[in-house]
Amino acid sequence: MELLQGLFIPNISPTLNDNIHFMIKVENLKKSYGDVPALNGVSFEIKEGEFFGLLGPNGAGKTTTISILSTILEPNEGKVTIGTYDLKKDPGQCKRTIGVVTQEIALYNKLSAYENLMFWGSLYDVPADDLKNRIAETLQLFGLADRQHDKIETYSGGMKRRINIASALLHRPKVLFMDEPTVGIDPQSRNLIFEVLEKLHKEGMTIVYTTHYMEEAERFCDRIAIIDKGTIIAQGTLNELKNTGGLKESIAVTFLNLTDLVKTKIGTFLGGEFKFEENVLHSYTSNVKTDLSRLIIGCSEAGADIVNIEIQKVNLETVFLSLTGKQLRD
Amino acid sequence: MFKIAVKDLKLFMADKRAMLLTFLLPIPLITLFSLAFGGSGKSSEARPTILIMCDEDKTKASHHIVEQLDSLKEIKVQLSSLDTIKRWIGNGDEDAALILHKGLSDSMDAGKPLPMELIYDKAKEMQMGILMSALSGNLMRFAGTKSFEKKALANFDKQNPGMDSAMREGVHAMIASNFSGGSRDGGKDEPMLKATPMEAQKENSPGLVQAVAGTAVMMLLFSVAGLGASLLQEREDGTLKKLLFSPLSPSNILFGKMISANLVAMAQLLIMFLFSWLVFGLNIKQNIPGLILMIVATAFACSGFGIFLASVAKSRAQVQGMTTLIVLTMSAIGGSMIPSFVMPAWMQHMAVVSVNYWSIQGFYDIFWRVLPVTSPVFLMRVAVLLGIGLVLNFLAVRLYKRNIKSIA
Ligand SMILES: Nc1ncnc2c1ncn2[C@@H]1O[C@H](COP(=O)(O)OP(=O)(O)OP(=O)(O)O)[C@@H](O)[C@H]1O
Ligand SMILES: [Mg+2]
Repeated sequence: MELLQGLFIPNISPTLNDNIHFMIKVENLKKSYGDVPALNGVSFEIKEGEFFGLLGPNGAGKTTTISILSTILEPNEGKVTIGTYDLKKDPGQCKRTIGVVTQEIALYNKLSAYENLMFWGSLYDVPADDLKNRIAETLQLFGLADRQHDKIETYSGGMKRRINIASALLHRPKVLFMDEPTVGIDPQSRNLIFEVLEKLHKEGMTIVYTTHYMEEAERFCDRIAIIDKGTIIAQGTLNELKNTGGLKESIAVTFLNLTDLVKTKIGTFLGGEFKFEENVLHSYTSNVKTDLSRLIIGCSEAGADIVNIEIQKVNLETVFLSLTGKQLRD
Repeated sequence: MFKIAVKDLKLFMADKRAMLLTFLLPIPLITLFSLAFGGSGKSSEARPTILIMCDEDKTKASHHIVEQLDSLKEIKVQLSSLDTIKRWIGNGDEDAALILHKGLSDSMDAGKPLPMELIYDKAKEMQMGILMSALSGNLMRFAGTKSFEKKALANFDKQNPGMDSAMREGVHAMIASNFSGGSRDGGKDEPMLKATPMEAQKENSPGLVQAVAGTAVMMLLFSVAGLGASLLQEREDGTLKKLLFSPLSPSNILFGKMISANLVAMAQLLIMFLFSWLVFGLNIKQNIPGLILMIVATAFACSGFGIFLASVAKSRAQVQGMTTLIVLTMSAIGGSMIPSFVMPAWMQHMAVVSVNYWSIQGFYDIFWRVLPVTSPVFLMRVAVLLGIGLVLNFLAVRLYKRNIKSIA
């Protein structure tokens, strides 16, 4: 239990036999529900203190992965190490290392927020006095101190989510799993949750965050794994991902009409990669800022009437699109 | 484990409907049933029972017995011939009759077993118990002396070989207590007169026992089924899954539920018996160890039922449906609504599959048959209840462990 002391600052014992301190190591996880394959050999590693995103569309296998990592689902194949503990051999220690925030809100509606937190915290053998202090701190952190003695059933969806997250933090886990914690939530609560997450991250907690919102992944995650149909199709930092598949930002210029003459004129001054699609010019560039003005001047000199200009940045959405040929969100 | 139990109790107490159902609803029901079965504690106000008798001995002594019995306020004797009596009983018109055979007077003088016989309708054994207990004491008092006691017991056994063993014990206890004086194996020179006044053997009216025990068990089954359903509620709410993330072992979660179900069940039974004591004068102090044993055993069996139901059912709606069906059926055949003894014999035989039967009979043992805690018959019932609880809990654990895998 000493390991878990300190205000959300995980005190991590180094993995002695590894040079790099991986907090979580997942090797070749396979899982199917009956005939339905959910995971087809998922592997990734998460360093301590890392904010790791698992990004994927509905049914990709995010919850399945989290369920396996949090010991409640047995994989058909594969190995998981959390901290220094093998998940299979030492599930008890793994459970004490992790905190889990489920996709669904799981609280006792008939009990107050305080009673709920008291109960969930007590399951981890936190001494009663410590627990009370931590509950007070946590309620403060989530802005619900004044409502703590109201029954959960009187809370709004966003407030319930906040308590749901708070209940997973009381034993001060080294690793926090969060499965789409912002689904169906008001902007105020979402921002509050984001603030708390950033704080926890800064304090050094390892966070595994699943989402199908690429904005969230881009905003918080140190590293991201993109998962689709039970397979990790890419992983790395945001920049690494943007470079996968040689994706470049592009400028799309729509003209009123394009004659072949104009096309060749434009072609001569445009360096680098480009292509015409009907009335649209796609120009791929590594520096939008300088290329954009050059492009506009060149086009007007060539006598082409510009109707619209669009800058297409590389983001997780386009990465996902280029990797799978489909939209992240349908 | 205990944390789970405490949390469950808190949840239970937060649920006003469940509280009401558990602790308040049974009270009007007991009242209703006890009125229906005429079960107020004061048996003296009861109408006299007609006792059909046949005096074949026709001596002074036998005549004396008839007169004495008739003089009792709870009995009114109606004399008839042996043939008529046998016809009546055979037709089911009458339940029983007491026959004083020839040689009664001589046997009394000689101190031999008395040729008395109670013939009764086999289907009405229960009423016989009531009658027997009223009769035995008085009969012996009029006929006899303390030295008759053992003979009377032997005689009773010989005459009624087919009698249910619990009934037999009850009657034995009755007979023994009516020989009274307390020290059965004590001084030989003890006065031979019966010293126990009728007042002292005022037992609880069977109607009251029936009303209290019957209602208590039935309502208990309903409320523990509700508690069991809380397991399914947790499943539907996702809190069960969340519990599985914690270091608690999955079985501890179920054990916690069992503990809270048992505690609530015991509290409910206790309150019902206290109520019956305060309001209806049920003499619960008569056999406190027995009562505690029965409350524990009944609570264990019933909570086992609730937990079992929760692990079989797939949803709360299903539990509710199953509860209503099973509890009502068990209560009906087990004697919660109508006393077992008024049911046809085949139904009485079926009753043994219900928790209600064993429990109600156990309470009869304590309050009406006045069996000691150590009586094998009573202990057997306690054992059956504990056994039922054990089996149901065991099955529940097995099913639960299988189901828990599909929760993630
Ligand atoms: N209990 C289950 N039984 C059968 N199939 C399941 C079960 N749970 C998940 N699946 C299937 O496994 C696959 C992965 O599901 P999973 O819940 O892990 O996806 P997800 O990425 O969390 O999706 P979402 O964004 O919708 O939460 C899906 O095809 C899903 O239909
Ligand atoms: Mg999911």
